[in-house]
Amino acid sequence: MLISLFFRCRLLNKQKQAGFLAMVLMLFLSLASGLAQSLETPQDGLAIGRQLLAEDNPGDLWTERGKRLFHSNRGPKNKSLETCDLGLGPGITKGAFAQLPRYFNDTKSVQDLESRLLTCMVEIQGFARAELISRRFGTLDQDSDIEALVAFIGSDSNNLPMNIGLSHPLERVMYETGKILFYRRSGPLDFACMTCHGETGKRVRLQDLPNMTKKEEIQQAVTTGWPAYRGTHSTVRTMQHRLSDCNWQMRLPDLNYASDLSVAITTFLNYSANGGLIKLPGVRR
Amino acid sequence: MKAITDQWVRGYRLGAIPLLLFFSACSQWTASFIDVRSNAETMVMGAYSATPELNQRAVQDPSQKICSLMPDESLTQDQMTFVTDAAKHSVSYPNSGHLTGDWKKGAELVADGTGQRIVNGQIEKLARNGALCNNCHQIDPKEVNAGNLGPSLVGYAKLRGRSETVIRYTYEKIYNAWAFLPCSNMPRLGANHFLTPEQIADVVAYLTDPQSPVNAP
Repeated sequence: MLISLFFRCRLLNKQKQAGFLAMVLMLFLSLASGLAQSLETPQDGLAIGRQLLAEDNPGDLWTERGKRLFHSNRGPKNKSLETCDLGLGPGITKGAFAQLPRYFNDTKSVQDLESRLLTCMVEIQGFARAELISRRFGTLDQDSDIEALVAFIGSDSNNLPMNIGLSHPLERVMYETGKILFYRRSGPLDFACMTCHGETGKRVRLQDLPNMTKKEEIQQAVTTGWPAYRGTHSTVRTMQHRLSDCNWQMRLPDLNYASDLSVAITTFLNYSANGGLIKLPGVRR
Repeated sequence: MKAITDQWVRGYRLGAIPLLLFFSACSQWTASFIDVRSNAETMVMGAYSATPELNQRAVQDPSQKICSLMPDESLTQDQMTFVTDAAKHSVSYPNSGHLTGDWKKGAELVADGTGQRIVNGQIEKLARNGALCNNCHQIDPKEVNAGNLGPSLVGYAKLRGRSETVIRYTYEKIYNAWAFLPCSNMPRLGANHFLTPEQIADVVAYLTDPQSPVNAP
Protein backbone atom coordinates (compact mmCIF):
# COMPACT_ATOMS: atom_id res chain seq x y z
CA MET A 1 0.00 0.00 0.00
CA LEU A 2 2.71 2.42 1.11
CA ILE A 3 4.86 1.37 -1.80
CA SER A 4 2.11 2.01 -4.30
CA LEU A 5 1.43 5.40 -2.73
CA PHE A 6 5.12 6.22 -2.94
CA PHE A 7 5.17 5.14 -6.55
CA ARG A 8 2.09 7.22 -7.31
CA CYS A 9 3.71 10.33 -5.77
CA ARG A 10 6.87 9.78 -7.74
CA LEU A 11 4.80 9.34 -10.86
CA LEU A 12 2.95 12.58 -10.22
CA ASN A 13 6.22 14.43 -9.73
CA LYS A 14 7.59 12.91 -12.87
CA GLN A 15 4.42 13.89 -14.65
CA LYS A 16 4.82 17.51 -13.53
CA GLN A 17 8.47 17.59 -14.49
CA ALA A 18 7.68 16.14 -17.83
CA GLY A 19 4.88 18.65 -18.28
CA PHE A 20 7.24 21.51 -17.56
CA LEU A 21 9.85 20.13 -19.91
CA ALA A 22 7.18 19.75 -22.56
CA MET A 23 6.13 23.37 -22.10
CA VAL A 24 9.69 24.60 -22.58
CA LEU A 25 10.00 22.48 -25.67
CA MET A 26 6.62 23.67 -26.96
CA LEU A 27 7.88 27.23 -26.69
CA PHE A 28 10.98 26.25 -28.60
CA LEU A 29 8.82 24.46 -31.15
CA SER A 30 6.57 27.44 -31.74
CA LEU A 31 9.56 29.75 -32.11
CA ALA A 32 11.18 27.35 -34.50
CA SER A 33 8.05 26.76 -36.56
CA GLY A 34 8.33 30.09 -38.35
CA LEU A 35 11.81 29.18 -39.51
CA ALA A 36 10.71 25.66 -40.39
CA GLN A 37 8.16 26.98 -42.89
CA SER A 38 10.79 27.56 -45.49
CA LEU A 39 12.94 24.57 -44.63
CA GLU A 40 12.06 20.98 -45.31
CA THR A 41 15.39 19.38 -44.41
CA PRO A 42 15.68 17.03 -41.39
CA GLN A 43 17.93 19.65 -39.78
CA ASP A 44 15.17 22.25 -39.52
CA GLY A 45 14.08 23.58 -36.12
CA LEU A 46 10.70 21.89 -36.08
CA ALA A 47 12.23 18.47 -36.73
CA ILE A 48 14.79 19.01 -33.96
CA GLY A 49 12.01 20.09 -31.59
CA ARG A 50 9.92 17.05 -32.50
CA GLN A 51 12.89 14.76 -31.98
CA LEU A 52 13.60 16.23 -28.54
CA LEU A 53 9.97 15.78 -27.56
CA ALA A 54 9.82 12.24 -28.90
CA GLU A 55 12.81 11.33 -26.75
CA ASP A 56 11.04 12.39 -23.56
CA ASN A 57 7.34 12.25 -24.36
CA PRO A 58 5.15 12.89 -21.30
CA GLY A 59 2.50 10.76 -23.05
CA ASP A 60 4.50 7.67 -22.09
CA LEU A 61 3.19 8.10 -18.53
CA TRP A 62 -0.37 7.80 -19.85
CA THR A 63 0.67 4.72 -21.83
CA GLU A 64 1.93 3.06 -18.63
CA ARG A 65 -1.19 3.97 -16.71
CA GLY A 66 -3.33 2.69 -19.57
CA LYS A 67 -1.50 -0.63 -19.54
CA ARG A 68 -2.15 -1.00 -15.80
CA LEU A 69 -5.82 -0.11 -16.26
CA PHE A 70 -6.21 -2.58 -19.13
CA HIS A 71 -4.90 -5.52 -17.10
CA SER A 72 -6.44 -4.70 -13.68
CA ASN A 73 -9.79 -5.96 -12.44
CA ARG A 74 -12.05 -2.92 -12.35
CA GLY A 75 -15.64 -1.75 -12.48
CA PRO A 76 -18.79 -3.18 -10.83
CA LYS A 77 -18.01 -6.61 -12.33
CA ASN A 78 -14.38 -6.46 -11.16
CA LYS A 79 -13.02 -7.68 -14.50
CA SER A 80 -9.98 -6.68 -16.55
CA LEU A 81 -10.18 -5.86 -20.25
CA GLU A 82 -8.25 -9.03 -21.11
CA THR A 83 -11.36 -10.47 -22.76
CA CYS A 84 -12.01 -7.26 -24.73
CA ASP A 85 -11.89 -7.97 -28.47
CA LEU A 86 -10.45 -4.97 -30.33
CA GLY A 87 -10.66 -6.83 -33.63
CA LEU A 88 -7.80 -9.30 -33.36
CA GLY A 89 -9.19 -11.54 -30.62
CA PRO A 90 -9.83 -11.24 -26.85
CA GLY A 91 -7.24 -9.12 -25.06
CA ILE A 92 -4.99 -8.64 -28.09
CA THR A 93 -3.77 -5.05 -28.11
CA LYS A 94 -0.70 -5.46 -30.32
CA GLY A 95 -1.66 -4.22 -33.79
CA ALA A 96 -5.24 -3.38 -32.71
CA PHE A 97 -4.94 0.34 -33.43
CA ALA A 98 -3.57 -0.31 -36.93
CA GLN A 99 -6.81 -1.97 -38.09
CA LEU A 100 -9.37 0.36 -36.48
CA PRO A 101 -12.08 1.41 -37.16
CA ARG A 102 -13.52 -1.97 -38.19
CA TYR A 103 -16.77 -3.93 -38.18
CA PHE A 104 -17.63 -5.93 -35.03
CA ASN A 105 -20.04 -8.81 -35.16
CA ASP A 106 -21.33 -8.49 -31.59
CA THR A 107 -22.43 -4.86 -31.97
CA LYS A 108 -23.22 -5.19 -35.69
CA SER A 109 -21.48 -1.88 -36.30
CA VAL A 110 -18.24 -0.27 -37.37
CA GLN A 111 -16.42 1.05 -34.28
CA ASP A 112 -13.34 3.15 -33.69
CA LEU A 113 -11.01 2.50 -30.75
CA GLU A 114 -12.98 4.70 -28.36
CA SER A 115 -16.46 3.43 -29.19
CA ARG A 116 -15.08 -0.13 -28.92
CA LEU A 117 -13.57 0.64 -25.51
CA LEU A 118 -16.96 1.95 -24.37
CA THR A 119 -18.57 -1.34 -25.44
CA CYS A 120 -15.95 -3.39 -23.54
CA MET A 121 -16.01 -1.27 -20.39
CA VAL A 122 -19.82 -1.44 -20.28
CA GLU A 123 -20.29 -5.11 -21.27
CA ILE A 124 -17.26 -6.66 -19.54
CA GLN A 125 -16.59 -4.39 -16.58
CA GLY A 126 -20.12 -3.17 -15.94
CA PHE A 127 -19.38 0.56 -16.02
CA ALA A 128 -22.32 2.86 -16.81
CA ARG A 129 -22.01 4.25 -20.33
CA ALA A 130 -23.16 7.76 -19.34
CA GLU A 131 -20.62 7.86 -16.51
CA LEU A 132 -17.78 6.85 -18.85
CA ILE A 133 -18.84 9.49 -21.36
CA SER A 134 -19.01 12.21 -18.72
CA ARG A 135 -15.35 11.44 -17.86
CA ARG A 136 -14.17 10.92 -21.45
CA PHE A 137 -11.87 13.97 -21.51
CA GLY A 138 -9.53 14.43 -18.57
CA THR A 139 -9.31 17.70 -16.64
CA LEU A 140 -6.70 18.87 -14.16
CA ASP A 141 -9.08 17.70 -11.41
CA GLN A 142 -9.90 14.31 -12.86
CA ASP A 143 -7.89 11.96 -15.08
CA SER A 144 -9.66 10.15 -17.91
CA ASP A 145 -9.25 6.36 -17.97
CA ILE A 146 -10.16 6.33 -21.65
CA GLU A 147 -7.34 8.74 -22.56
CA ALA A 148 -4.84 6.45 -20.78
CA LEU A 149 -6.26 3.27 -22.36
CA VAL A 150 -6.16 4.85 -25.83
CA ALA A 151 -2.52 5.92 -25.28
CA PHE A 152 -1.61 2.34 -24.29
CA ILE A 153 -3.50 0.62 -27.11
CA GLY A 154 -2.29 3.13 -29.69
CA SER A 155 1.34 2.69 -28.65
CA ASP A 156 0.99 -1.10 -28.84
CA SER A 157 0.83 -0.75 -32.64
CA ASN A 158 4.10 1.21 -32.81
CA ASN A 159 6.27 0.51 -35.86
CA LEU A 160 3.38 -1.32 -37.57
CA PRO A 161 1.79 0.16 -40.70
CA MET A 162 -1.80 1.48 -40.67
CA ASN A 163 -3.78 -1.28 -42.29
CA ILE A 164 -7.53 -0.62 -42.52
CA GLY A 165 -9.05 -3.44 -44.54
CA LEU A 166 -12.51 -2.17 -45.54
CA SER A 167 -13.24 -5.85 -46.17
CA HIS A 168 -16.71 -5.70 -44.64
CA PRO A 169 -19.31 -3.87 -46.75
CA LEU A 170 -20.36 -1.71 -43.79
CA GLU A 171 -16.73 -0.60 -43.39
CA ARG A 172 -16.82 0.48 -47.04
CA VAL A 173 -20.06 2.37 -46.36
CA MET A 174 -18.45 4.06 -43.33
CA TYR A 175 -15.46 5.12 -45.46
CA GLU A 176 -17.61 6.49 -48.30
CA THR A 177 -19.87 8.34 -45.83
CA GLY A 178 -16.86 9.74 -43.98
CA LYS A 179 -15.48 11.06 -47.25
CA ILE A 180 -18.75 12.89 -47.98
CA LEU A 181 -18.78 14.32 -44.45
CA PHE A 182 -15.18 15.54 -44.88
CA TYR A 183 -16.32 17.76 -47.76
CA ARG A 184 -19.70 18.71 -46.26
CA ARG A 185 -20.00 22.45 -45.50
CA SER A 186 -22.37 23.70 -42.80
CA GLY A 187 -22.70 26.01 -39.81
CA PRO A 188 -22.48 29.80 -39.40
CA LEU A 189 -18.94 29.77 -40.84
CA ASP A 190 -19.69 27.55 -43.88
CA PHE A 191 -16.81 25.23 -42.95
CA ALA A 192 -16.09 21.64 -43.91
CA CYS A 193 -13.04 19.67 -42.71
CA MET A 194 -11.77 20.35 -46.20
CA THR A 195 -11.80 24.14 -45.66
CA CYS A 196 -8.75 23.93 -43.37
CA HIS A 197 -7.29 20.55 -44.36
CA GLY A 198 -7.32 20.63 -48.16
CA GLU A 199 -4.12 22.51 -49.01
CA THR A 200 -0.47 22.15 -48.08
CA GLY A 201 1.39 24.79 -46.05
CA LYS A 202 -1.70 26.42 -44.52
CA ARG A 203 -2.11 27.78 -41.01
CA VAL A 204 -4.98 29.05 -38.93
CA ARG A 205 -3.23 31.75 -36.87
CA LEU A 206 0.14 30.06 -36.17
CA GLN A 207 -1.18 26.50 -36.11
CA ASP A 208 0.02 24.32 -39.00
CA LEU A 209 -2.78 22.38 -40.67
CA PRO A 210 -2.08 18.97 -42.24
CA ASN A 211 -3.39 18.53 -45.78
CA MET A 212 -5.57 15.44 -45.47
CA THR A 213 -5.84 15.05 -49.24
CA LYS A 214 -2.10 14.38 -49.59
CA LYS A 215 -0.92 10.85 -48.78
CA GLU A 216 2.34 11.68 -46.91
CA GLU A 217 0.69 14.40 -44.84
CA ILE A 218 -2.31 12.33 -43.78
CA GLN A 219 -0.03 9.41 -42.95
CA GLN A 220 2.06 11.70 -40.75
CA ALA A 221 -1.06 13.16 -39.10
CA VAL A 222 -2.76 9.81 -38.36
CA THR A 223 0.29 7.80 -37.30
CA THR A 224 1.69 10.39 -34.85
CA GLY A 225 -1.57 11.32 -33.18
CA TRP A 226 -4.20 11.02 -32.00
CA PRO A 227 -3.62 9.82 -29.22
CA ALA A 228 -1.07 12.56 -28.55
CA TYR A 229 0.20 14.42 -25.50
CA ARG A 230 -1.19 17.93 -25.84
CA GLY A 231 1.08 20.48 -24.15
CA THR A 232 -1.52 23.21 -23.75
CA HIS A 233 -3.92 20.70 -22.12
CA SER A 234 -1.27 18.86 -20.02
CA THR A 235 -2.85 15.52 -20.95
CA VAL A 236 -3.11 12.94 -23.70
CA ARG A 237 -5.98 13.72 -26.05
CA THR A 238 -7.71 11.27 -28.38
CA MET A 239 -9.11 11.41 -31.93
CA GLN A 240 -12.62 11.86 -30.54
CA HIS A 241 -11.33 14.92 -28.67
CA ARG A 242 -9.68 16.29 -31.83
CA LEU A 243 -12.91 15.96 -33.82
CA SER A 244 -14.85 17.51 -30.96
CA ASP A 245 -12.43 20.46 -30.88
CA CYS A 246 -12.67 20.98 -34.65
CA ASN A 247 -16.46 20.94 -34.34
CA TRP A 248 -16.30 23.60 -31.64
CA GLN A 249 -14.12 25.83 -33.82
CA MET A 250 -16.56 25.30 -36.70
CA ARG A 251 -19.28 26.69 -34.36
CA LEU A 252 -21.27 23.44 -34.51
CA PRO A 253 -22.95 22.02 -31.38
CA ASP A 254 -21.03 19.64 -29.07
CA LEU A 255 -20.24 16.51 -31.05
CA ASN A 256 -21.71 13.39 -29.40
CA TYR A 257 -18.94 11.10 -28.14
CA ALA A 258 -18.44 8.02 -30.33
CA SER A 259 -21.15 9.21 -32.75
CA ASP A 260 -21.42 7.45 -36.13
CA LEU A 261 -20.32 10.72 -37.77
CA SER A 262 -17.06 10.70 -35.80
CA VAL A 263 -16.42 7.03 -36.62
CA ALA A 264 -17.15 7.65 -40.32
CA ILE A 265 -14.67 10.54 -40.56
CA THR A 266 -12.04 8.52 -38.64
CA THR A 267 -12.58 5.56 -41.00
CA PHE A 268 -12.03 7.84 -43.99
CA LEU A 269 -8.88 9.41 -42.51
CA ASN A 270 -7.32 6.21 -41.13
CA TYR A 271 -7.89 4.28 -44.35
CA SER A 272 -6.30 7.15 -46.30
CA ALA A 273 -3.24 6.80 -44.02
CA ASN A 274 -2.76 3.10 -44.78
CA GLY A 275 0.90 2.13 -45.01
CA GLY A 276 2.14 4.85 -42.64
CA LEU A 277 4.21 3.56 -39.69
CA ILE A 278 2.54 4.16 -36.33
CA LYS A 279 4.40 6.15 -33.67
CA LEU A 280 2.11 6.83 -30.71
CA PRO A 281 1.35 8.67 -28.55
CA GLY A 282 2.35 11.78 -30.49
CA VAL A 283 3.13 15.23 -29.09
CA ARG A 284 1.15 18.32 -30.08
CA ARG A 285 0.87 21.94 -29.09
CA MET B 1 -13.48 -29.57 -16.23
CA LYS B 2 -11.30 -27.65 -18.63
CA ALA B 3 -11.92 -30.25 -21.33
CA ILE B 4 -15.66 -29.86 -20.91
CA THR B 5 -15.40 -26.10 -21.17
CA ASP B 6 -13.25 -26.35 -24.27
CA GLN B 7 -15.73 -28.75 -25.82
CA TRP B 8 -18.59 -26.46 -25.01
CA VAL B 9 -16.75 -23.47 -26.45
CA ARG B 10 -15.90 -25.38 -29.60
CA GLY B 11 -19.50 -26.54 -29.94
CA TYR B 12 -20.75 -23.03 -29.39
CA ARG B 13 -18.34 -21.69 -32.00
CA LEU B 14 -19.36 -24.31 -34.55
CA GLY B 15 -22.99 -23.44 -33.92
CA ALA B 16 -22.18 -19.77 -34.31
CA ILE B 17 -20.70 -20.15 -37.78
CA PRO B 18 -23.96 -20.49 -39.74
CA LEU B 19 -25.38 -17.67 -37.61
CA LEU B 20 -22.42 -15.43 -38.41
CA LEU B 21 -22.65 -16.25 -42.08
CA PHE B 22 -26.34 -15.39 -41.97
CA PHE B 23 -25.70 -12.04 -40.31
CA SER B 24 -22.80 -11.12 -42.53
CA ALA B 25 -24.91 -11.99 -45.56
CA CYS B 26 -27.65 -9.81 -44.11
CA SER B 27 -25.45 -6.79 -43.55
CA GLN B 28 -23.81 -7.34 -46.93
CA TRP B 29 -27.24 -7.23 -48.48
CA THR B 30 -28.24 -4.15 -46.45
CA ALA B 31 -24.97 -2.35 -47.24
CA SER B 32 -25.51 -2.62 -50.97
CA PHE B 33 -28.73 -0.63 -50.61
CA ILE B 34 -27.33 2.18 -48.47
CA ASP B 35 -27.20 5.54 -50.23
CA VAL B 36 -24.07 7.07 -48.69
CA ARG B 37 -25.25 10.64 -49.22
CA SER B 38 -28.47 10.20 -47.26
CA ASN B 39 -26.49 8.07 -44.81
CA ALA B 40 -24.24 11.10 -44.20
CA GLU B 41 -27.29 13.28 -43.45
CA THR B 42 -28.64 10.65 -41.03
CA MET B 43 -25.28 10.66 -39.23
CA VAL B 44 -25.29 14.46 -38.96
CA MET B 45 -28.75 14.30 -37.38
CA GLY B 46 -27.48 11.78 -34.83
CA ALA B 47 -24.24 13.59 -34.06
CA TYR B 48 -25.61 16.45 -31.95
CA SER B 49 -27.81 16.64 -28.84
CA ALA B 50 -28.17 20.40 -28.37
CA THR B 51 -31.42 22.38 -28.64
CA PRO B 52 -33.25 22.22 -32.01
CA GLU B 53 -32.18 25.81 -32.64
CA LEU B 54 -28.48 25.01 -32.21
CA ASN B 55 -28.72 21.66 -34.01
CA GLN B 56 -30.10 23.61 -36.97
CA ARG B 57 -26.57 24.96 -37.52
CA ALA B 58 -25.54 21.56 -38.90
CA VAL B 59 -28.34 21.59 -41.48
CA GLN B 60 -27.14 22.84 -44.88
CA ASP B 61 -28.73 25.69 -46.79
CA PRO B 62 -29.01 25.21 -50.60
CA SER B 63 -25.75 27.08 -51.29
CA GLN B 64 -23.79 25.08 -48.71
CA LYS B 65 -25.12 21.92 -50.32
CA ILE B 66 -23.86 23.02 -53.74
CA CYS B 67 -20.53 24.16 -52.29
CA SER B 68 -19.76 20.78 -50.69
CA LEU B 69 -17.89 19.64 -53.78
CA MET B 70 -16.16 16.26 -53.79
CA PRO B 71 -12.63 16.10 -55.30
CA ASP B 72 -13.88 14.79 -58.65
CA GLU B 73 -16.64 17.41 -58.95
CA SER B 74 -16.71 21.00 -60.20
CA LEU B 75 -19.45 23.64 -60.22
CA THR B 76 -21.84 23.65 -63.19
CA GLN B 77 -22.75 26.99 -64.76
CA ASP B 78 -26.26 26.75 -63.22
CA GLN B 79 -24.87 26.08 -59.76
CA MET B 80 -22.45 28.99 -60.07
CA THR B 81 -25.31 31.29 -61.07
CA PHE B 82 -27.52 30.03 -58.23
CA VAL B 83 -24.88 30.54 -55.52
CA THR B 84 -23.79 33.95 -56.85
CA ASP B 85 -27.36 35.25 -57.21
CA ALA B 86 -28.38 34.03 -53.75
CA ALA B 87 -25.30 35.74 -52.32
CA LYS B 88 -25.95 39.05 -54.14
CA HIS B 89 -29.56 39.08 -52.91
CA SER B 90 -28.49 38.42 -49.32
CA VAL B 91 -26.54 41.67 -48.89
CA SER B 92 -28.05 44.39 -46.69
CA TYR B 93 -26.46 47.69 -45.70
CA PRO B 94 -26.15 49.81 -42.54
CA ASN B 95 -29.17 52.03 -41.80
CA SER B 96 -26.87 55.05 -41.92
CA GLY B 97 -26.05 54.28 -45.55
CA HIS B 98 -22.32 54.60 -44.78
CA LEU B 99 -20.27 51.58 -45.86
CA THR B 100 -17.23 52.68 -43.88
CA GLY B 101 -17.28 53.08 -40.09
CA ASP B 102 -14.67 53.45 -37.35
CA TRP B 103 -11.33 51.88 -38.33
CA LYS B 104 -10.22 51.60 -34.68
CA LYS B 105 -13.27 49.51 -33.84
CA GLY B 106 -12.51 47.56 -37.00
CA ALA B 107 -8.97 46.86 -35.75
CA GLU B 108 -10.36 45.21 -32.63
CA LEU B 109 -12.81 43.12 -34.61
CA VAL B 110 -10.18 41.96 -37.11
CA ALA B 111 -7.88 40.59 -34.38
CA ASP B 112 -10.72 38.91 -32.47
CA GLY B 113 -11.22 35.20 -33.25
CA THR B 114 -14.06 34.48 -30.82
CA GLY B 115 -17.83 34.33 -31.00
CA GLN B 116 -20.71 31.85 -31.34
CA ARG B 117 -18.79 28.79 -30.11
CA ILE B 118 -20.83 26.21 -28.22
CA VAL B 119 -19.74 24.42 -25.04
CA ASN B 120 -22.06 22.02 -23.23
CA GLY B 121 -25.00 23.24 -25.28
CA GLN B 122 -24.41 26.92 -24.43
CA ILE B 123 -23.21 29.64 -26.78
CA GLU B 124 -20.24 31.53 -25.32
CA LYS B 125 -21.37 34.75 -23.68
CA LEU B 126 -19.69 37.75 -25.30
CA ALA B 127 -20.65 41.38 -25.89
CA ARG B 128 -20.14 40.77 -29.63
CA ASN B 129 -18.58 38.34 -32.08
CA GLY B 130 -15.06 38.89 -33.38
CA ALA B 131 -14.66 39.23 -37.15
CA LEU B 132 -12.14 36.33 -37.23
CA CYS B 133 -10.09 37.98 -40.04
CA ASN B 134 -6.62 37.27 -38.55
CA ASN B 135 -7.42 33.57 -38.25
CA CYS B 136 -6.82 33.37 -42.01
CA HIS B 137 -5.42 36.71 -43.26
CA GLN B 138 -2.31 38.78 -42.65
CA ILE B 139 -3.69 42.35 -42.56
CA ASP B 140 -1.62 44.54 -40.24
CA PRO B 141 1.97 43.97 -41.41
CA LYS B 142 3.08 43.99 -37.75
CA GLU B 143 0.57 41.34 -36.58
CA VAL B 144 2.47 38.14 -35.76
CA ASN B 145 -0.51 35.95 -34.89
CA ALA B 146 -2.10 35.75 -38.35
CA GLY B 147 -2.99 32.72 -40.46
CA ASN B 148 -2.48 32.15 -44.17
CA LEU B 149 -5.59 30.28 -45.34
CA GLY B 150 -6.65 33.46 -47.12
CA PRO B 151 -4.48 35.91 -49.08
CA SER B 152 -2.49 38.69 -47.39
CA LEU B 153 -4.40 41.98 -47.25
CA VAL B 154 -1.41 44.12 -46.24
CA GLY B 155 -1.57 47.50 -47.98
CA TYR B 156 -5.18 46.84 -49.00
CA ALA B 157 -6.11 50.38 -50.08
CA LYS B 158 -2.60 51.32 -51.18
CA LEU B 159 -3.01 48.69 -53.91
CA ARG B 160 -6.68 49.23 -54.72
CA GLY B 161 -7.37 52.85 -53.82
CA ARG B 162 -10.48 53.78 -51.86
CA SER B 163 -12.97 54.73 -54.56
CA GLU B 164 -16.69 54.16 -53.97
CA THR B 165 -16.45 51.02 -56.13
CA VAL B 166 -13.65 49.57 -53.99
CA ILE B 167 -15.51 50.42 -50.76
CA ARG B 168 -18.74 48.82 -52.01
CA TYR B 169 -16.90 45.74 -53.27
CA THR B 170 -15.07 45.36 -49.94
CA TYR B 171 -18.30 45.69 -47.94
CA GLU B 172 -20.18 43.19 -50.09
CA LYS B 173 -17.24 40.77 -50.19
CA ILE B 174 -17.18 40.59 -46.38
CA TYR B 175 -20.97 40.46 -46.17
CA ASN B 176 -21.14 37.55 -48.58
CA ALA B 177 -17.90 36.35 -50.18
CA TRP B 178 -19.81 33.98 -52.46
CA ALA B 179 -21.29 36.94 -54.40
CA PHE B 180 -17.93 37.31 -56.13
CA LEU B 181 -16.34 33.89 -55.86
CA PRO B 182 -19.01 31.19 -55.45
CA CYS B 183 -18.08 28.54 -52.83
CA SER B 184 -14.84 30.26 -51.79
CA ASN B 185 -13.43 29.16 -48.43
CA MET B 186 -14.36 32.49 -46.84
CA PRO B 187 -17.42 32.42 -44.53
CA ARG B 188 -20.45 34.53 -45.51
CA LEU B 189 -20.03 36.66 -42.39
CA GLY B 190 -22.89 39.10 -42.93
CA ALA B 191 -25.37 36.75 -44.59
CA ASN B 192 -24.89 34.19 -41.79
CA HIS B 193 -25.56 36.95 -39.20
CA PHE B 194 -22.11 36.49 -37.69
CA LEU B 195 -21.40 40.21 -38.08
CA THR B 196 -23.82 43.17 -38.21
CA PRO B 197 -23.74 45.61 -41.17
CA GLU B 198 -22.24 48.24 -38.83
CA GLN B 199 -19.42 45.90 -37.77
CA ILE B 200 -18.66 45.11 -41.40
CA ALA B 201 -18.48 48.86 -42.11
CA ASP B 202 -15.92 49.16 -39.28
CA VAL B 203 -13.81 46.40 -40.85
CA VAL B 204 -14.08 48.12 -44.25
CA ALA B 205 -12.77 51.31 -42.62
CA TYR B 206 -9.87 49.38 -41.11
CA LEU B 207 -8.95 47.98 -44.53
CA THR B 208 -9.29 51.25 -46.43
CA ASP B 209 -8.56 54.17 -44.08
CA PRO B 210 -5.22 55.90 -44.83
CA GLN B 211 -4.65 56.18 -41.03
CA SER B 212 -5.03 52.41 -40.51
CA PRO B 213 -1.80 50.39 -39.97
CA VAL B 214 -2.91 48.23 -42.92
CA ASN B 215 -2.05 51.12 -45.27
CA ALA B 216 1.01 52.38 -43.40
CA PRO B 217 3.59 53.77 -45.82
